[in-house]
Amino acid sequence: MRKLGRLLLLAAVTAIAGLVLVACGGGSSSGGGTSGGTATVLMGTAPDYLDPQEEYTTQGAEANWISYTPLVTYKHENSPGGNDVIPGLATALPTISADGKTYTLTLRKGLVFSNGQPVKASDFAYTVERAIKLNWGGKSFFTNNIVGASAYDKGDASSISGITTNDQTGEITIHLVRPYGAFANVLAFPAAGLVPSGTPMRNLTNDPPPGVGPYMITAVSPNRTFSVVKNPHFAALHLPDIPTGHLDKVTVNITSNTQSEAQQVLSNQADAFDAGDTLPPSLLPQIESRAKDRFAREDVPSTFYFFLNTQTAPFDNPLAREAVNLALDRRALVRLASGFLKPECYFLPEGIVGHPTASCPYGQPDQAPDVAKARALVKQAGLDGTKVTVWGQQRSPRKQYVEYYTSVLNSIGFKATPKIISDSVYFPTIGNAKTNPQTGFADWVQDFPNPSDFYLLMNAKTIQPTNNENFSKVDDPHIQRELAKLDAVPATRLDSVASEWESLDEYAAKKAYVATYGSEEVPKFLSNRIDFGSAVFHPLYFNDWSSWRLSS
Amino acid sequence: MLGLRPLRRDRTAVAFGALFVVIVALCLAAPLYARDVAHTGPNANHVTDTVRVGGKAEDVVSPDGIPIGPTWHGRFLLGADQNGRDIAVRLLYGGRNSLEVGAIATFITMALATLLGITAGYYRGAFDGVTSRGLDLIWAYPVPLLGIALGTSLALGGLNLGLFTLSGNSLLVPALIIGFVYIPYVAKPVRAQVLGMREREFVEAARSLGASNRRIIFHEILPNAASTVIVFAPLILANAILLEAGLSYLGAGVQPPNPSWGTMIGDGIGLLPSSIHMTLVPGAMLVLAVLGINVLGDGVRDALDPHTSARVPH
Amino acid sequence: MARFIVRRIASMIAVLFAISVLTFLIFQAIPNGDPAQRLAGRTSTPETVAAIRRTWGFDKPVYDQYLLTMEHVFKGDIVSYTQQVNVEQEIVQDLPPTLSLAIGAGIIWLVLGVALGLLTAARAGGLVDRGLTVLALVGVSVPVFLLGAVLLYVLAYEVPVFPNGGYVGLTADPLQWLWHMILPWAALSALFIGVYSRVLRANVLDTMSEDFVRTARAKGLSRRRVLVRHVLRSSIIPIVALWGLDFAATIGGGAILTESVFNLHGVGQYAAQSIGQLDVPPVLVIVMFGSFFVVVMSALTDIAFAVIDPRIRLA
Repeated sequence: MRKLGRLLLLAAVTAIAGLVLVACGGGSSSGGGTSGGTATVLMGTAPDYLDPQEEYTTQGAEANWISYTPLVTYKHENSPGGNDVIPGLATALPTISADGKTYTLTLRKGLVFSNGQPVKASDFAYTVERAIKLNWGGKSFFTNNIVGASAYDKGDASSISGITTNDQTGEITIHLVRPYGAFANVLAFPAAGLVPSGTPMRNLTNDPPPGVGPYMITAVSPNRTFSVVKNPHFAALHLPDIPTGHLDKVTVNITSNTQSEAQQVLSNQADAFDAGDTLPPSLLPQIESRAKDRFAREDVPSTFYFFLNTQTAPFDNPLAREAVNLALDRRALVRLASGFLKPECYFLPEGIVGHPTASCPYGQPDQAPDVAKARALVKQAGLDGTKVTVWGQQRSPRKQYVEYYTSVLNSIGFKATPKIISDSVYFPTIGNAKTNPQTGFADWVQDFPNPSDFYLLMNAKTIQPTNNENFSKVDDPHIQRELAKLDAVPATRLDSVASEWESLDEYAAKKAYVATYGSEEVPKFLSNRIDFGSAVFHPLYFNDWSSWRLSS
Repeated sequence: MLGLRPLRRDRTAVAFGALFVVIVALCLAAPLYARDVAHTGPNANHVTDTVRVGGKAEDVVSPDGIPIGPTWHGRFLLGADQNGRDIAVRLLYGGRNSLEVGAIATFITMALATLLGITAGYYRGAFDGVTSRGLDLIWAYPVPLLGIALGTSLALGGLNLGLFTLSGNSLLVPALIIGFVYIPYVAKPVRAQVLGMREREFVEAARSLGASNRRIIFHEILPNAASTVIVFAPLILANAILLEAGLSYLGAGVQPPNPSWGTMIGDGIGLLPSSIHMTLVPGAMLVLAVLGINVLGDGVRDALDPHTSARVPH
Repeated sequence: MARFIVRRIASMIAVLFAISVLTFLIFQAIPNGDPAQRLAGRTSTPETVAAIRRTWGFDKPVYDQYLLTMEHVFKGDIVSYTQQVNVEQEIVQDLPPTLSLAIGAGIIWLVLGVALGLLTAARAGGLVDRGLTVLALVGVSVPVFLLGAVLLYVLAYEVPVFPNGGYVGLTADPLQWLWHMILPWAALSALFIGVYSRVLRANVLDTMSEDFVRTARAKGLSRRRVLVRHVLRSSIIPIVALWGLDFAATIGGGAILTESVFNLHGVGQYAAQSIGQLDVPPVLVIVMFGSFFVVVMSALTDIAFAVIDPRIRLA
């Protein structure tokens, strides 16, 4: 009898305890929204790679940023807060020597990877070596700046001499070839997200290595699907300012039909339309009316422009370049972009330090262009009837931009024809000296919020015979002198040289080395399952999945 | 039983044939239409312009990037595309390009297939061996893949044949590709027919009379093979136009800014939910033109060689 | 007979080899088609490009590269230039949609094509015949991607009966699989139904005028019985031969346009994407795979006809 009674009491207590636990665990302490749950993201373009030391597109970055934390990272906030660099796996922001060439950081104690393995300081050196060995698309940021990285790249050294680490103290010292102000931003790349020493030196997209982050990548089926799930070891690390995430899992499905993608999010069958995709204009009126509480256009500091090759006719003539800038109707391009373009005339976009506020030298971007004056300039330069090939990409709306631009060139006296080629061969083709393109489409999305990133494209030193990015082949001594000064200013002191960057950009605009027309906007478009207001849209990494929570 | 049908079918064939002629005439009149009715060319962009519809000024392209539908008068009669170009003007110019590519391709196929088929079938030997293997090679290659591969490659690099160079933008590039791809489907039946003919009595008779090979070919073989070839012509033309549309839809056919029915349909498919006119207008025109050719072709086949089982891949 | 088969197999292998060479050359002819620059990424240095060229063997002469590529193909470890995924694995994953499309559409167009052909032949000259013939001609005149796009718009967007493209595996969810395949089947079959019904109609009408048919009718057999039992059997042979070739062509990447419009992620769509990206390895493998099918089918057909008609064997 007594045994039964005790058993019953035990059962009752357990039941009550269970009820209490369930009631408490269901809601979150900060109110509004729940913890747990899964979400589905639809991407129209597959990430190039999911291996952190290979990935270099926004699609891959969305997953890698929250799975592989580097020594320093960015605040998980909307713009402008999201542009600030904060400590990641390091205890604090780097200490920079007076000459700007030595960076010192200390690794936090007690860190472990998503497989439980402890993190050592030497893992950082290995990570950088791996990025170089795997030919990461941005590896020149390492090889151009870190002492010994170039030698390692060439195979002349078995490690990078400019990086020294001490696993006992956790100290990491990096020596630079010359002062490079944006180096703190370079350290914040997801490609510098630490992976264990000894991780194989080959593309591991199908089975990504362990990392330190709120989430980890699993279940990869290339070009079809992958998922990120909560990293069980992360919460215990208590990294400040890096959210541990609410959702248990985010599944990404690759579908090449953006119309179907948009329809599914509109009807709440899927949770997010990837910000890297173009919303089909046909569906915009519906989205704007039916889903206006979960749809917004977000600014991305980027430059969309037509390059003007200054070393070949006809754009070696400054009058021709001015004519293009005068005749281009930025409002038309905004329409072709279905409103996902902010009209600009300056190369440095809004949101980047150094964006000029002075009025544009060749007409305000929100007003009608002066086609008559442009035509007169072309005639004056004796360039009437010059044949021009305008290069462009196949995907919409870029094809439409180029077709419009061609029509503008024809209206001011040139004989222009478009040459639309496949996206995947576009940049290698126009970046090849043998092609020697006269003009065409180009864009640059910030690698990090620093004007020196954009001015790589106007830096004569970066001109190379293949994979060139300085398509206008700008070689201007004044720009070179200014860049030598300004590139060295550390990222933390950027505001002190804002007005100098502004003057430089105004100078470049007057020279009309390119015809800038805008900065792109991307869609933040979620289903009603996700709490829209608290979902962070990061200026670099777009949808911050670690900030998502299910709406209550 | 056979008496009435050709007559009835003939009327249909004549009607559809006339339809096709009307379409061709409209397309030829493109410059007139552009200049006098629409007041714009096929490639002129009007993104920020407005057009008067029913007294109000409407955007040709809305701020969301959606083009205007048919206005049913002079400017933008059948609406605009996303670059603000007049669809009706592009329809006619595009028709010229589509028909031109189709016609040139058909001519290439007919000429080369006849040449190769007759020579291989008559002379046999090594030439026949090589030609037949070559024809088999092209025939075995999946048609759309060959078309797209050649189209992409030549659009990027142009065609350099020593004597002359074609830029990737030229209309001759898709025409050559399509013409080339269909050669085996005509050459093989022609060759088979010639193989059969050379054993027949009338050839033997001619030879015994001392006629040279060339005389036999031109006087006996060619006229008989001609009817086979002619039967194929409408079939090839119809398929050539359809193949051009398919290639252009995938970006491997006619290159921008040249319009063609295929490129217009390709542009339109992306905007179907809001701007169905962009797809239906060129689509309907394409279907009517090809239908006209097919019905006409049926009539031709009935008249010349009702027993043929001419076949071309789709 | 055996010699005939051996000869056909030998010529088959020769054709496959020649096709792979042709494909390789088509892409070699592209200026700046050098994959090294693409593989290196947008902002890489000439040294990196050179290193990649060495690793992948792009600095070797053309025939060496070709042999190297073919070696990888036969070892099964050939990787694509974009993302370096194993091509043959990708193709295997892409087979289910292509097979579903080809087999489903193939059955539909054979059955309906024959049915329509018989119907129009039986009612030859009447209104039904004329109406259905025009319909068949329309089916042959509409480009498949246009038909597909319009079907999607009307039946998947305006009136959302069917899903807007995509593919669901048969084993994963049979009902959804069917639901996703109906529109692609309809779009692809329309064309072939038109062709087959007209071919069958012509064959049937020709056969009907032959002596043995008149004999059968004279014996008192009903029209329908004559049609089905005697006429159909002989007129259907060329149809089956045609069907074999068309089916093979559809599997071998011939349904590119249908797969692209409906976003089925099949072999054809993979080929089209790869060509657009100038990604040679997948194109090479798919082209060989596709032409293999076509050549096998045509060889089987030829062998079958050779068995039936000895004259053909010697040609």
